[in-house]
Amino acid sequence: MSDNGALLSVKNLRKEFPIRKGLLSRQVGAVKAVNDVSFDIARGETLGVVGESGCGKTTAGRSILRLIEPTAGEILFEGKDVRALDTSGLRAVRRDMQIIFQDPVSSLNPRMTVGAIIREGLTIHKLAEGSAADARVSQLLDEVGLRPEHRTRYPHEFSGGQRQRIGIARALSVEPKFIVCDEPVSALDVSVQAQVINLLQDLQREHNLTYMFIAHDLSVVQHIADRVAVMYLGRIVELAPAEALYREPLMPYTQALLSAVPVANPAVKKQRIILQGDVPSPAKLPPGCVFHPRCHHPAKDVACTKIIPPLEAKAEGHFVACIKQPPTQVSWEQQQQAGGTKPPERYLPTAALR
Amino acid sequence: MKRTTVWSRPSTRVAVVTLAIFFLGALFAPVVAPYNPTAQPDIVALKDLPPSVAHPFGTDPYSRDVLSRVVYGARLSMGIGFLATLISVTLGVAYGAMSGLAGGFVDAVMMRVLDAFMAIPRLLLLIALLAAWHSLPITTLILFLGFTGWFSLSRIVRGQVLALKESEFVMAARAIGANRGRIVVTHLLPNLYSVIVVAATLGFAHVIVLEAGLSYLGIGVPQPLASWGNIIQDGAENVSGLWWLSLFPGLALLAAVIALNTLGERIRETFQSTR
Repeated sequence: MSDNGALLSVKNLRKEFPIRKGLLSRQVGAVKAVNDVSFDIARGETLGVVGESGCGKTTAGRSILRLIEPTAGEILFEGKDVRALDTSGLRAVRRDMQIIFQDPVSSLNPRMTVGAIIREGLTIHKLAEGSAADARVSQLLDEVGLRPEHRTRYPHEFSGGQRQRIGIARALSVEPKFIVCDEPVSALDVSVQAQVINLLQDLQREHNLTYMFIAHDLSVVQHIADRVAVMYLGRIVELAPAEALYREPLMPYTQALLSAVPVANPAVKKQRIILQGDVPSPAKLPPGCVFHPRCHHPAKDVACTKIIPPLEAKAEGHFVACIKQPPTQVSWEQQQQAGGTKPPERYLPTAALR
Repeated sequence: MKRTTVWSRPSTRVAVVTLAIFFLGALFAPVVAPYNPTAQPDIVALKDLPPSVAHPFGTDPYSRDVLSRVVYGARLSMGIGFLATLISVTLGVAYGAMSGLAGGFVDAVMMRVLDAFMAIPRLLLLIALLAAWHSLPITTLILFLGFTGWFSLSRIVRGQVLALKESEFVMAARAIGANRGRIVVTHLLPNLYSVIVVAATLGFAHVIVLEAGLSYLGIGVPQPLASWGNIIQDGAENVSGLWWLSLFPGLALLAAVIALNTLGERIRETFQSTR
């Protein structure tokens, strides 16, 4: 139910990739790419999703469109249960949900002209045909900043930024309400990144679009997102309005990410939070809080290795999965029972976050 | 742009012109050939003649005109090669694409079956099969050559399909609502053209050589029909004396195979440059 007015509501989404071994393809384990992820996106909103590579953000985005079949969870789009849809229902809902890919090279069929690529959705959903379809293709090209005569060319004749615009035109062709932008600018030059992001913002305003904007670059997300979800090892570890997240990141992982964002001012000496070790394998997740092996929170103790932290509100609309940042539902007594020795205390290393 | 530079390369032109001459010669053999290829006009006076104006490629021990036999040989050798390749390519693409699309268990079984086929040397298999006929019908020869020629292509196609079906543009097509059939026809097959065309061209050359070999061994195209292989065989017993008998069909075979291989290479380059 979209009782809270959300366009998209994701509940307890999971995606596991089985690890098979041997002659009989026996399943010996599973990579938990997306592990119990829940969030809502309101109409017209942009939810930024950040995290390093392998944290499951792309898998989450693709699972929502069922381009990858999720293992478990609920996906409600305008109240419709996307996971329960049959082929024709899914085709219908895909008119409303589109995706823009990261790689502008591999996301366009090299054997199709730009016109044919953009036209495909029009044909499939019977939106226009003949000269009406030609006119619509021209209009879409114009809308994304390309010229109508580009329609007869092939993708390899275009630059990365132009190719990404073609991908955007393709997504727009079916007049979607929601678009998963899967790192749409991370393969582009910095100068081109800004153009494409501005284009996406203009389009959002004109068409009242809702975005799930996946990125690994925090500064890009800060610019475009209303709210930001930070993912680590398949889980959302912090979810907050963009402004609050950048001003007051409470999850130690987010703090480390933000401390790594370079500042364009050589006079500012920023303290970096250097994380210890590597990201653990998603096939062998650490028990308790997935971030505990690398955490620098001063109150980190044995309880962190035992208790899976719930994603809970620390302030209005600011959700964090950390039992050491007060307030928390996991009481000090419960933490002590799990072997905890250090009571929760607020930790915000401001020197690292300027 | 790149396309024109590849096509304008001299070797491409030479190959295309050579093949065009062979194809036209084969097609219009009755017009091009000066004599009837199986006629034995005077088995005493006109036998074993060296090349002359009347018989540019000489005559054979049965007084048949070698030029006419080579021209008609082109018809048979290239015709057999073309049809056999058509069968191989169709089977190879169908089998490989099915295997790749199905994936999982079906794919594994289909690939093991293919391994079993590939374990048998093609030439030996053909010899074993064709030896059963006393006078081999041409259709049977074409079918056998076609049915034994698709294994490696189907493996290549399967690999390509596996890669393509996971590609982002196929995912994008699914996202926009394309069904399975549409994805195969508009997204997979056009991206297989380059592989198919190159494999077909090189396979064509290979089948021509194979047929020539079988005919040379006497189990391919039966006499008195002329194929390049059995004309070479006619002269093989007396290469020092009747050198023209093996030389001209041999040169024709060589030219056709080199032209086809060159063309295959050029097509590969052309497709790569437009990636």
